[in-house]
Amino acid sequence: MAQVAVRNVVKKYGSLQVIHGVNIDIADGEFVVLVGPSGCGKSTLLRMIAGLERISGGEVDIGGRVVNDVLPKDRDIAMVFQNYALYPHKTVAENMGFPLKLKGRPKDEIAAKVKKAAEILALEKLLDRYPKQLSGGQRQRVAMGRAIVRDPQVFLFDEPLSNLDAKLRVTMRVEIKELHQRLKTTTVYVTHDQIEAMTMADKIVVMRDGHVEQIGAPLDLYDRPANTFVAGFIGSPAMNFVLGRLEGRDGETVFVSDHGTVLPVPAGTAPRPEPVVYGIRPEHIDVRPGGIAATISVLEPTGSETQIFARIGEDPLNAAVRDRVASRPGETIPLSIDSQRVHLFDRQSGKRI
Amino acid sequence: MMRQSSPILYLVFWILLSFLTLFPIYWLFVISVKPAVDLFTTPSLILDTVYWNNYVKVLSNETIRRYMYNSLVISTSNAALVTVLAFMACYALSRFDLAGKENIFFWTITNRMAPAAVFLLPFFLLFTQVFTIGDWKLYDTKIGMVLLYCTFNLPFAIWTLRPTMDGIPKELDEAATVDGATTWQVIHEVVFPLARPGLAVTFILTWVFAWNEFLLAATLTSFNARTITTGLSEYVTTTGTEWGAMASIAVITLIPALIIFSMVQRHIVAGLTFGAVKE
Repeated sequence: MAQVAVRNVVKKYGSLQVIHGVNIDIADGEFVVLVGPSGCGKSTLLRMIAGLERISGGEVDIGGRVVNDVLPKDRDIAMVFQNYALYPHKTVAENMGFPLKLKGRPKDEIAAKVKKAAEILALEKLLDRYPKQLSGGQRQRVAMGRAIVRDPQVFLFDEPLSNLDAKLRVTMRVEIKELHQRLKTTTVYVTHDQIEAMTMADKIVVMRDGHVEQIGAPLDLYDRPANTFVAGFIGSPAMNFVLGRLEGRDGETVFVSDHGTVLPVPAGTAPRPEPVVYGIRPEHIDVRPGGIAATISVLEPTGSETQIFARIGEDPLNAAVRDRVASRPGETIPLSIDSQRVHLFDRQSGKRI
Repeated sequence: MMRQSSPILYLVFWILLSFLTLFPIYWLFVISVKPAVDLFTTPSLILDTVYWNNYVKVLSNETIRRYMYNSLVISTSNAALVTVLAFMACYALSRFDLAGKENIFFWTITNRMAPAAVFLLPFFLLFTQVFTIGDWKLYDTKIGMVLLYCTFNLPFAIWTLRPTMDGIPKELDEAATVDGATTWQVIHEVVFPLARPGLAVTFILTWVFAWNEFLLAATLTSFNARTITTGLSEYVTTTGTEWGAMASIAVITLIPALIIFSMVQRHIVAGLTFGAVKE
């Protein structure tokens, strides 16, 4: 186990810069998730930590040692790839024992470690099979097994669940988390799925266009997103955004949208002349008598909750409620916004006010 | 579905195809086991008598035995050298960011675009006048023929092998690198075993090319490095053609080809990389 530090790391391909001075500190034993949309540079950053991509500027430090010029094989890391990358001509046992074989470890030691890892991952009965004889989930477990037999300082996961079906993804998510709780190895995990990030991470790093947008604990990011990008990216269904201004009316501050809709703001908010973005999560809007009248556009019942796509005047608003909704599209319902859960952002910079 | 509904039609089709393929070989064999008199007086495709004298005559001829040996050495050395070089070239073309690598790739094939006869005179001059050390000349040497066939076979081999190499997922190299492998170990432990079907095909095709080649061998060898294909032509003389002897040599030359093929064929397994990465 080790600490990992990414300091001012830059990646350039010729004149094209894809990572712009990223700084991340990862504590010993921490589970850090790099999350962001496709092309945000999260996988490139992970590959730089692994040593599979050259670092154009800055430093990567693993266990107190700067590893910029250290070969991947000497970094004491293990990586699980998105598409498993199992050696098709080797059996499960040979795949898992391969890193130890390369280190020149004795055969009985390799066999013992492979057996132990196979027990952890419930692969004992599959050790003599070839990758083509395994299901997707089993292959993913073998890939993880190959990583854990090495007992590395750091685990790197590059979107390991994105090729699995939805149900298996949830199972494997739990397995990876259990594995981390058991081994307590420092882990860097890349995903584009914010649910994976929220459920697995000790700390989330949200990235966009090669920049870090925010670093924090999952619930901190959910409760206090630093900007509109993080606010929109974290949380499902996504946060509602309404453009408007903060105005003082009758001694109170209210939000008035560009279309004239008036919405409540947290107590103590001061009016400001600059335009703002008003953010409210769908789950913080409820159907309650006395609420703001909204016209239903579409209803999406999922059983456990119902999503209501509605309009207040010209402004679209999406609410997610636990109760069943008896109304139908075209009808009007009262929507109540939890004003203490409202997020306000500067419209120009997108930053939290 | 088609296959299920008309198995007899398929059977007939394959029998016909097998017959077309095997009939010339049978004919060759029939000629090789008949005395010259029978061949011209009562031409027949029926194998009524077996006359082994053509074989005895050919195999007891030391010159023919040497030609055979030369052919074996030249073809096998050439195929081995070409396969190794093509493997390394394709690994570089497939894995490294080489400037203008697609142009290099295309350029390699350009010398196969002209007929071999175009190269006869330049090669003859090179072999007799340029590549010489004292009295020693590349002309009429086995090494000369091996290198000569390399220039023809290597581009072809690179083109044959490239798709195989590109088909081996790069992630496997990366996984092995992270697992602690050096570049050599990546090649030896991962890429080579997975490239085996492609390597086997490349080896066979280059071997067959060198084994069957006549024009260049006839021009650039005289005695020491003469191959069996050119030796065959020595039975066409001004006084007549010894069909029986020629046919027996031709049958004999088929045997090493069959042996090489059976040795290499087991490596040609399709779908070996299935399961490596999620497609």
